[in-house]
Amino acid sequence: MTTTDPLSATFAALADPTRRAILARLASGDCSVGELAAPFDMSMPAISKHLRVLENAGLVSRSREAQRRPCHLEAAPLKDIVDWAEHYRSRWEGRFDRLDDYLKELTTNTTNATNTTNTKEKPNARKHRK
Amino acid sequence: MLASTANKDTFNVATVSDQEIRMTRVFDAPRALVYEAMTKPEHVKRWWGNLGDGYSVSVCEIDLRVGGKWRFVNKHPQGEAEFYGEYRELDMPGRIVFTEIFAPFPDSVSVVTSTLVEEGGKTRFTAIVKYPSLEVRDMVLATGMEKGAAISYDRLEDLVAELARS
Repeated sequence: MTTTDPLSATFAALADPTRRAILARLASGDCSVGELAAPFDMSMPAISKHLRVLENAGLVSRSREAQRRPCHLEAAPLKDIVDWAEHYRSRWEGRFDRLDDYLKELTTNTTNATNTTNTKEKPNARKHRK
Repeated sequence: MLASTANKDTFNVATVSDQEIRMTRVFDAPRALVYEAMTKPEHVKRWWGNLGDGYSVSVCEIDLRVGGKWRFVNKHPQGEAEFYGEYRELDMPGRIVFTEIFAPFPDSVSVVTSTLVEEGGKTRFTAIVKYPSLEVRDMVLATGMEKGAAISYDRLEDLVAELARS
């Protein structure tokens, strides 16, 4: 199956350590393909290929005017990814623990006020009864 | 609260296919109540968004019917994330199928199949999430959503830290 949806393209671009290193380099300023290639033991075409993946994912743009065509980090989609990751990051377990506590609170109130067999009919009443 | 410690170890995340993960958790409550706590905004806000300083759920809309929409905005210290989707199947209180979209990427749709099964007075929650691709699934796992299973996305972390400062 070919994956062409934008989120998958972005994550596929980020999944490679060389591409992440290129982005990290660009975070400290624009630079040319040659400057980007320098720290890597890689040919210019290989670096260019990585750059194309990053460009297609909207993470890097290249100036059309200047002759050296410097590469520029596009921060907005990366910020989106940070927001996305924050939604998932190590939180589900904690959320479910809190839900368990909250359910305990709700069931305690229910047991005090009414028979549990009634929970289906009057789901809302429970939380108001103390 | 003793309730959470009793069921804490029941949380589990597993990969079931290239695009899918399965999340399970047992709750100490009848199924109808778990269902209600997971589908009514006034309840969801109490447990889902209450993550500490800087975290909140600023929007929590749930139109619980087939074809109905839902929308959550999750505020965190660095910004906010908006998720929305549509209910595709509702077989209350046992099963819900809905889509999930991260707002900046509207063409990337995940599908969540969530089931609640009663087991001797407790309720087992299972969610199978089908992501748009292997890449997205792996990124979800890389965030460390399952404690202890985080894959380090080395330079990305540094990069994000730099962006947050700039």
